[in-house]
Amino acid sequence: MKKLDLRLLRMIKQSKGQFVSVTVIVAVALCIYVMFSVTTINIDNAVKHYYRVTNINDLIIELIRIPQGALEALKTVDGVAEVQGRISIDVPLQVSNEDEKVNIRMISLPDGGGIINKLYAVDGSTDHPDDNKDVILLEQFAKARSITTDDIITPRINGRLHELKVAGVASSSEFIYLMENEQSLLPAPEKFGVAYARESFLQSTFGYRGSYNQVMVTVDDYADIDDVIDLIEKRFDKYGIKKITKLEDQLSNDVLVQKIDGIEMMSSILPMMFLLVAAIIISIMLSRIVNNDRMAIGVLKALGYGNISVLSHYTKYALAIGLTGSIIGIAGGLLLANPMSQVFVSFFNIPLAGIEIQYGYIINGILLTSIFCIGSGLFGARGVIHIMPADSMRPEAPKAGKRMMIERVVFIWKHVPFSWKMVIRNIMRNKKRFAFLVLGLAMAYGINTVPLYMSQAMVSMFEMQYGEYQKMDYTIDFSVPQNKRAITDLSHLIDAEYIEPRLDFPFELVNGWRKKSVSLIGVPRDTRFYIFKDKEDDLISLPEKGIFITEAIAKELRVKKGDMITVKSFIPGKEDITLQVTDIFKQYLGANAYMDIEAMERLLLDKNMITGVSVASNDDLKEKLKDVKNISSVRSVGDMMQAFVEYLDTMNLAIMAYLLFGGILGFALIYNATIIGISERINEFASLRIMGFDKKDIYSMITKENSVMAGIAIIVGIPLGAAMINGMVESFSSDMITFPVILAPEIFIKAAAASVVFVAIAQLATLKKVYNINFIDALKSRIS
Amino acid sequence: MQSNILMKVENVSKDYRMGEVKVNALQEASFEINEGEFIVILGPSGSGKSTLLNILGGMDLPTTGKVVVKGEEINSYNDRKLTAYRRDKVGFVFQFYNLMANLTAKENVELATEMCKNSLNIDEVMEEVGLAERKDHFPSQMSGGEQQRVAIARAVAKNPLLLLCDEPTGALDYKTGLLILSLLHKINRQHNKTVVIITHNMAIGDMADRVIKMRSGRIVEIRENENPIPPERIEW
Repeated sequence: MKKLDLRLLRMIKQSKGQFVSVTVIVAVALCIYVMFSVTTINIDNAVKHYYRVTNINDLIIELIRIPQGALEALKTVDGVAEVQGRISIDVPLQVSNEDEKVNIRMISLPDGGGIINKLYAVDGSTDHPDDNKDVILLEQFAKARSITTDDIITPRINGRLHELKVAGVASSSEFIYLMENEQSLLPAPEKFGVAYARESFLQSTFGYRGSYNQVMVTVDDYADIDDVIDLIEKRFDKYGIKKITKLEDQLSNDVLVQKIDGIEMMSSILPMMFLLVAAIIISIMLSRIVNNDRMAIGVLKALGYGNISVLSHYTKYALAIGLTGSIIGIAGGLLLANPMSQVFVSFFNIPLAGIEIQYGYIINGILLTSIFCIGSGLFGARGVIHIMPADSMRPEAPKAGKRMMIERVVFIWKHVPFSWKMVIRNIMRNKKRFAFLVLGLAMAYGINTVPLYMSQAMVSMFEMQYGEYQKMDYTIDFSVPQNKRAITDLSHLIDAEYIEPRLDFPFELVNGWRKKSVSLIGVPRDTRFYIFKDKEDDLISLPEKGIFITEAIAKELRVKKGDMITVKSFIPGKEDITLQVTDIFKQYLGANAYMDIEAMERLLLDKNMITGVSVASNDDLKEKLKDVKNISSVRSVGDMMQAFVEYLDTMNLAIMAYLLFGGILGFALIYNATIIGISERINEFASLRIMGFDKKDIYSMITKENSVMAGIAIIVGIPLGAAMINGMVESFSSDMITFPVILAPEIFIKAAAASVVFVAIAQLATLKKVYNINFIDALKSRIS
Repeated sequence: MQSNILMKVENVSKDYRMGEVKVNALQEASFEINEGEFIVILGPSGSGKSTLLNILGGMDLPTTGKVVVKGEEINSYNDRKLTAYRRDKVGFVFQFYNLMANLTAKENVELATEMCKNSLNIDEVMEEVGLAERKDHFPSQMSGGEQQRVAIARAVAKNPLLLLCDEPTGALDYKTGLLILSLLHKINRQHNKTVVIITHNMAIGDMADRVIKMRSGRIVEIRENENPIPPERIEW
């Protein structure tokens, strides 16, 4: 081994505390990068594999009714590959606890199981019902409610209870992420399930003999999907197409893609921040080492080593950190990627297609880390070039001292205690380094704000959506549209403070070539349940004729307040109309548009028609309405709240992980900064000891410096954290879910508390170093 | 004889700028160094002797004047050529030894020889400086004299044309100082290596073939020593 490399190894050994603390940061960065990147690939592969195996639909067409015979015609549409009709209707399920409201989606399966959206049988059970009284139950629901094969479930169909035997349990690629509708914030598999029954049975029970209300379609080429949709819309409009949903827009797929994107984003942003902080520490550390080694560098140059050799000698220190960190991090990442992928696929309920190790990520990781470390190493050690062998033999001249601005304000300065004066002077002596450290700590602080924001945002989204924007206690959906008299009928059945009609129908909003299928909801203009607020948080009221759309839809369709928009009806015989976007309102969950119910009836539908109601009531509506015909679902805000609270508990773990990440960064920064500071100022401390300062005084001086640094970092970190939160909101918000920008003081206070704790731990870790300084040796040393 | 001249210093001056002030560290120095000569440059602090040594060793460049080594003007060298010059032609011995603290004695010597083409056998050199038994010790485990012997071994093992020693006894006691001077003398006489010592210690001048005296950046005297005395007889 070359002697310079041997020297490097011994140098590392001597500064092992610092070396390890920076290596840990690099290792964590690489571990996160590899673990989440590989996990993303694994999940993505698993989903693709699962979609392929089960032959997932490319399109789902929801219609009022389409006869079986028309499917043949559908097959002849250019670009259509396969077609399969089905019945899909949500019904209440009777469960042992009468207070519990559970809905189940009954979906028909052709005899033999069909060719599109094939079920994936679990544990060898059958994947198609052979008898009219048999159902195949979706796995998540069966698990959540502990239902097994041969159990009986009793859905209430058209007011009548049907006893159906669970013939098998299966999973479905269509319901990887099981959510009832777009308004559900979270999956609640014990409250909503899917049961597959024989086609003939559901056709007769629901009155769809010889016809369907949904058609699944696969296409020859997904790239042509929009053309296929246009053709289908034109030719099959007469069957009352309500909505055509592409696979990419299907609820389960959409959420899944968002989750995968979220993991992917985490796999790049977090490691970048970690590497950046590592780079800051490395460059500060190396600049200190080079300064300490000034004379040795001079000797090396006198011996005939050139600038490049000496510079690369020190840069190798950084590279050693990078490579050691990479190897440990990558090994850890690969080890954890497997269980992590398992956790995700089992969470998503998909069979794992196999673990794939992408060597590209390993190479990327090593390259990226090397670039960061070499860059910061060169930056930190660049002073090597300016060290002249002749100069280095002489002690370094003290840096030119000059008065600071604050010193000129005599009135203030003379009141500053001496120990604080030293602290301030020392900070000002290394302004650039101080700025770097503050930036690093601010980043660690920013990382801490993100999980705190997430938990706050989830609570807030829920509270805003169901406390402020929608104030009903229950939302009731009818299985078929009803006359407004239904409200009067309902008020006889339940004890309600107020009942408001609701008209909820899918339409396509079109602006130029941009279009979007949304639920258009009609509510009375003087609605007591819906509160609309614009971007500035000002209250807005529904207009007589115009339409309100969410910010997300406005963004997607590129429309502004006051623009005209085409509302395309799926109902046969209804003309498309043009409406003005009177306002753009805030809504966190779901992609909706709202308008006055009367205008909606008049312009788009039939008079006197409602599809559901919103109710304010303390009554137990689920119990009271369980036997009522024509009610497809009764959703209570209370139930959603309960599911939400349970979910928040599981989120705590993720919050802890994030805080730990921020903590590691904060720790490493403070620990290294303190160690470097001590080694630089050992002579100064020795002199102070001789003057009568004790170890505690010196330690308290260092503590003061770190406290000032942490304090400023927190102040700088607040806008940085806010920017990270904004970035988070931008990248995680979709048309289905809009994260609110919440910059609540408690997020920043809690993040500050977490930062203070980690800084304090790092500070304590350096206690021994300060107490073990040999002051006599320090004074003898020629170079400080 | 012309062929015996190793180095020719012609009108060499060196100015430094320290803030607003211009310092003439060396002015119009001219002399020659012959192959195998033992030269002592004498002078008090600030006389410019270290500056001169740095220029001779290629650690610094003159402001004006020429330094010709074996027919090549090193004052016109760029950084890369100067590095090569220091690597292949010069061996340095410093007052404070300047060993690498985290390398053993032998490793310190190897550090210097690793990049040289004609280096000597390290074990033999260690033997020569009397450190064969101590070669695996770290500098912190050695006395000042031992450390200086390692430094000499490091300089000699490269097999340079010229050995430049900056106050080699400055940090040592009298007895150890003499031992170091004897070692340098032996290297000069037995291996025919050119040795240049700079010192403020007048007594050391007595062992030189030639003494160059300096004061205030100028050479004030160049004196041939007809009968150099062996280092063992020097006293201060």
